[in-house]
Amino acid sequence: MANYSTSQFKNGLKLILDGNPCSIVNNEIVKPGKGQAFNRVKFKDLITGKTLEKTFKSGESLEAADVMELDMQYLYSDGEAWHFMDPDSFEQYSLDSEAMSDSINYLVEQDSCVVTLWNDNPISVTPPNHVILEVTDTDPGLKGDTAGTGGKPATLNTGVVVQVPLFVSIGEKVRVDTRTNEYAGRA
Amino acid sequence: MRDKSYLRKRHQLIKKIRNFFDLQGLLEVQTATLLDTPTTDVYIDSVSSIINNDINSTVVRYLHTSPELEMKKLLSNGSGDIYQICQVFRDNEYGDNNFNEFTMLEYYRIGYDIHALMDDIINLLSAIGIDPKVTKISYAEAFSNYGNIDILSIDFGDLKDIALGLGLSTDFLWIEDLQMLLFAHLIEPKLKNLPVCFIYDYPESQSALARVDGPVALRFEMYLGGIEIANGYDELQDADIYYERFLRENNKRVELGKKAHTLDNTFLTQMQKTIPQCSGVAIGIDRLLQHIS
Repeated sequence: MANYSTSQFKNGLKLILDGNPCSIVNNEIVKPGKGQAFNRVKFKDLITGKTLEKTFKSGESLEAADVMELDMQYLYSDGEAWHFMDPDSFEQYSLDSEAMSDSINYLVEQDSCVVTLWNDNPISVTPPNHVILEVTDTDPGLKGDTAGTGGKPATLNTGVVVQVPLFVSIGEKVRVDTRTNEYAGRA
Repeated sequence: MRDKSYLRKRHQLIKKIRNFFDLQGLLEVQTATLLDTPTTDVYIDSVSSIINNDINSTVVRYLHTSPELEMKKLLSNGSGDIYQICQVFRDNEYGDNNFNEFTMLEYYRIGYDIHALMDDIINLLSAIGIDPKVTKISYAEAFSNYGNIDILSIDFGDLKDIALGLGLSTDFLWIEDLQMLLFAHLIEPKLKNLPVCFIYDYPESQSALARVDGPVALRFEMYLGGIEIANGYDELQDADIYYERFLRENNKRVELGKKAHTLDNTFLTQMQKTIPQCSGVAIGIDRLLQHIS
């Protein structure tokens, strides 16, 4: 794959850093008053999800990472692997729980998710921004209970726990913002 | 295009700066911007042009990258304390915070050491409406607190090992460049939460045109919210040392494959008439303005 030098760095560029594909989150050019220019860069490691910072000498270059983000349909899970299908090629990809990470909380069969591929291997999944899940367990919200605005915890069908308003009951479908794990209205 | 509220804010800032200096009896000066020689700074390039081409002249003139040398000529001629607000020009500057042209405030106080000058700058900040908590730490303290490195004693080889361990480049010819990389990587991000921070007593390797006292240069910088705003020195007085410093910078330029520059002999000759002991500072006005709400 091609190399990118610091003059080509920009947000979203995917490069290999310490063997892992990383995406540039912030690229700051810093030039000390009496010194040469540096690129102070914040990366997101696409495998570990961690943020890292590195400062480069101007002119340094990094290998580009062959990363693609494809829309795929979530098929099913057997508890050990989660299976997705590219609707254009009908190719199937699977990920283990480590690669799935938190996205396991928001999977609904047939939903379209973004699967990130590195060298054609799926490394992570991003669910849609909002998903509709069913409440499987929650306390009944007592009428007249106006103590605080925190609401109450509710367990949803995927196992994830979300704070919901007191009036939400078991069996109801709710919309959840997958980026913040917050209740976003009834469905 | 800047809107009226920005222009008004800028006008107020310049007015307050002038007022601050006028009350203290400093003279405002305008020194020549088009110079005969370029800056010898290793990493700063002068914008230049051939002038009077109409009459077949091949003379090249250089826009000043700072008014430092011209103002020092005035000091050596007995000007007393002086200040200047002017546009400065630098080639090969890019990024969101670096421009080819910007506004500089530069001033000199006779009889002040760098600590007295830093206090004066704090008063100036107050006069323009910046009044927060001030942090003052030495370069060595910054590195030991934030980087766990004994920066003044560590040698180039050991410093490279530290850089390698951090995954940083070690492709540098001189220790000062690696010191600056580590400062940008380890220290500057920690200064982001400090509204006003002075770093003083730079390593001798980064003395620029400051007087040196043992292992340290009597040089300081001011950071506002982690951004470099000002650079100041207890000014070099000895003409021979000025010559040495210019040579050193020029040689480094050559080693980096850059053009060697003719030295400013007028300046060097003028420095035979020694400037009084003084400290001076250059402050970036555009960046300063960004920090005033």
